[in-house]
Amino acid sequence: MNAQACFHCGEANPDSAPILARVQGRQHAVCCPGCKAAAEWIETLGLADYYRLRSGPAQRHDGVADHAAWDRPALARLHVRSTSADRAQVIVLVDGLRCSACAWLIERALRGIDGVLDVGVNALARRVSLEFDPRRIKLSSLLAALSRLGYVPHPLTAGMIDSQRQRESRAALKRLVVAGLGTMQAMMMAVALYAGVFDGIDPAVREFFRWIGFLVATPVVLYSAQPFFRGAVREWRARRLSMDTPVALAVALIYLASMINVFVGGHEIYFDSVSMFVLFLLLGRHLAMRARHRAGDVVDALARLQPVLAERREAAGYTTIAVHELEAGDIVRVGSGAAIPADGELLGPRCRIDESLLSGESTPIAREPGQALIAGSLVIDGPIEVIVRHIGADTVLAGIVRMVTRAASERPALARLADARAARFVVRVLAATLITTLAWAWFDPGRALPAALAVLVVSCPCAFALAVPSALTRAVAVLAQRGVLVVDADALEALARADRFIFDKTGTLTEPNFERARVEVIRGSLEQALGIAAALEQSNSHPLGLALRRAGASAPLKTATALRHVQGAGVEGDIEGIRYRLGRADFSLHAPGADTAGDGDALVLADPDGVIARFPPSEQLRPAAATLIRSLGDAGIKCEILSGDRAARVAHIAGLLAIDEFTAAASPVDKLARLAVLRAQGHVVAMVGDGINDAPVLAAADVAIAIGEGSAMAHAASGILLASSRLESLLEARHVAAEMLVRLKQNLNWALAYNLSAVPLAALGFVPPWLAAIGMSASSIVVILNSLRIGRHATAWPDAPRPVSEAVA
Amino acid sequence: MNIILLLIPISLVLLGVGIWAFFWAVNHAQFDDLDTPSLTPLSEDRPAAPDAEEP
Repeated sequence: MNAQACFHCGEANPDSAPILARVQGRQHAVCCPGCKAAAEWIETLGLADYYRLRSGPAQRHDGVADHAAWDRPALARLHVRSTSADRAQVIVLVDGLRCSACAWLIERALRGIDGVLDVGVNALARRVSLEFDPRRIKLSSLLAALSRLGYVPHPLTAGMIDSQRQRESRAALKRLVVAGLGTMQAMMMAVALYAGVFDGIDPAVREFFRWIGFLVATPVVLYSAQPFFRGAVREWRARRLSMDTPVALAVALIYLASMINVFVGGHEIYFDSVSMFVLFLLLGRHLAMRARHRAGDVVDALARLQPVLAERREAAGYTTIAVHELEAGDIVRVGSGAAIPADGELLGPRCRIDESLLSGESTPIAREPGQALIAGSLVIDGPIEVIVRHIGADTVLAGIVRMVTRAASERPALARLADARAARFVVRVLAATLITTLAWAWFDPGRALPAALAVLVVSCPCAFALAVPSALTRAVAVLAQRGVLVVDADALEALARADRFIFDKTGTLTEPNFERARVEVIRGSLEQALGIAAALEQSNSHPLGLALRRAGASAPLKTATALRHVQGAGVEGDIEGIRYRLGRADFSLHAPGADTAGDGDALVLADPDGVIARFPPSEQLRPAAATLIRSLGDAGIKCEILSGDRAARVAHIAGLLAIDEFTAAASPVDKLARLAVLRAQGHVVAMVGDGINDAPVLAAADVAIAIGEGSAMAHAASGILLASSRLESLLEARHVAAEMLVRLKQNLNWALAYNLSAVPLAALGFVPPWLAAIGMSASSIVVILNSLRIGRHATAWPDAPRPVSEAVA
Repeated sequence: MNIILLLIPISLVLLGVGIWAFFWAVNHAQFDDLDTPSLTPLSEDRPAAPDAEEP
């Protein structure tokens, strides 16, 4: 960390008049008063070790929000669980919790507060679990403490405390460990028995080993393999065959046959094979579960978009209540920049609504009284009144959350295909076993059982069962490590097959930028205007706000107080006693509907006397865009730009990137039509967008890739999220997806070849069951090892610089 | 050779104890977060009171 970067948050410090924070006896330069306050508060708590332990800079400090509303009994009931009169528990999702040092800081800082009984922080899930004494401290004070540390707290509903996710992962871990330990013991006994076959063994000792093998394999089959049996029974009730069916059947048959052999003293036993089979399958499931839980965090982010408070009209005026207290027919007031709490109908007056959350259209839409409004969308010019029609689970937003949840838990098409194959396969194996038994019973009844068992064991479908999930889970895990989140595993297959990449321009290939030369100054100097603008935007994480701060980095630093953000419109604040406004022209000039001076997308800075400066946004290429397009071209993939922007700008960017095909000024309908044409021509289309402006278009592509920043990450339409906003990770994702398809095919071919060669030999009685067991284990080990090769060769990208923008992502 | 008739059951009992201990640990949230606690011992304990003066 250098002297130019803020000691607390790591962003660039202003050049002139540095702000200094005193931490551990030394002066450190910070970028803003907010960071100074946060750093010094951390110091007074004696927690300055945080700066030594952390692995990444903190979130920029945004000032402390008001949390008093969280003390309302109605809200508390939903979010806080009281275990006794002096003990309550709440789970808080914390934005900005980035590394273990943050977790340490939060834990230490909160433990020091009187009334806090216990603090548990999970950095991975970004959750803080708090136990406190509600008589001594209020929830709002706890949330305020988190805000003062520079984090944004979002209490989760109490249902999350006994989270199903936690129970699921605990149970899976126990099953896995029991299966692992059981397998080791069973194999130890099996090795002794195999050695005994060659070197001779005392019959009593042999008998003893067989019983011990039975003993250690029993918990593996009866406890660890339970999910397979449950799944098979569930599928059977629905009259379907799934992957669980052959697995459960094989486990049950092998276990029962071995058990009978132990009791009657007959032939070979297979406790080692059956335990190992269960262990490998559980391992694959465990990895898949962890990937799914990670995707679950995305859903939490979505659920957060809905406001928790609403202003209801009552006889005596407006009362603030919790959203879940609303009922259909209630009338609520929604202010400028606030989100609509429930689906409903506009009562009046006419207004403009930002529905980018759902429609993907970031331009506000005019709504007349009587028209429908959707929960989660933002009111640009309020206040308005809304009659509530649908609440809670009936809202469109809740529907999207459900969709994402389902997508995350559904088995991908590839796995379903493999399921169907394995189900057919198991039917054939059972038929083969039956034929073998009958044939041997005819010729030589004594050899019927060993031969039948050999067929069953040697053809055990585990190689088939593991072929697809092992490759899929490995690919998802490898990508997650590299900042690519796969929400929908089907998307991986489509990504590998995609032969057309379509890019949105703004926010995807380019990022916004303000050129000093193009700033139009009406009054005062350029430096002054940039300084005021940067001060107003000091706590804004929107790309435009960041760009403006970059542009104003060299201007003399000012401090804005009483900042108020109006979402979708702009920001206002006091600097040196003057009230400034920065944002859309109509917001800054207090003149709704008056789009001044033609250039509608310029940000306007104004004080009560009128316009000071206009900032027309321009854009610059993302650092890795050129590398990405060139590499895709080298791989024989055609790239295309579909943008709603003006033709000249799109043509300019396309020229810079050497993309021949582009469509400018395209409405979402045009974009959808273009996708339909390409898909009708047989192309597999990948659409890359920023996830906000392109939602419907993203949903229509074969594979949708969203470049995630903040809330855009939450969007339901995308199958793959580039969490790091590094464009080049898209190349890695494509590479890993292609490798996964190759490995998957190898796995299936290997399983097929192995079974085709082994089953006839076993049926003819040439394979003794112990050899069959070794063959079966070996075939599944081959599959697992082959899958683990995915992503082993780190992909090297030529001249892919780490983008500057990463620091702010 | 007969000693294994005693040793193996003993090892199985120990295994059972191990699994019981592991289940206890899982049920007491020891495996819920494997990332955060690793840092705790790296730092010194905080002073008794935030404003305590250095001796």
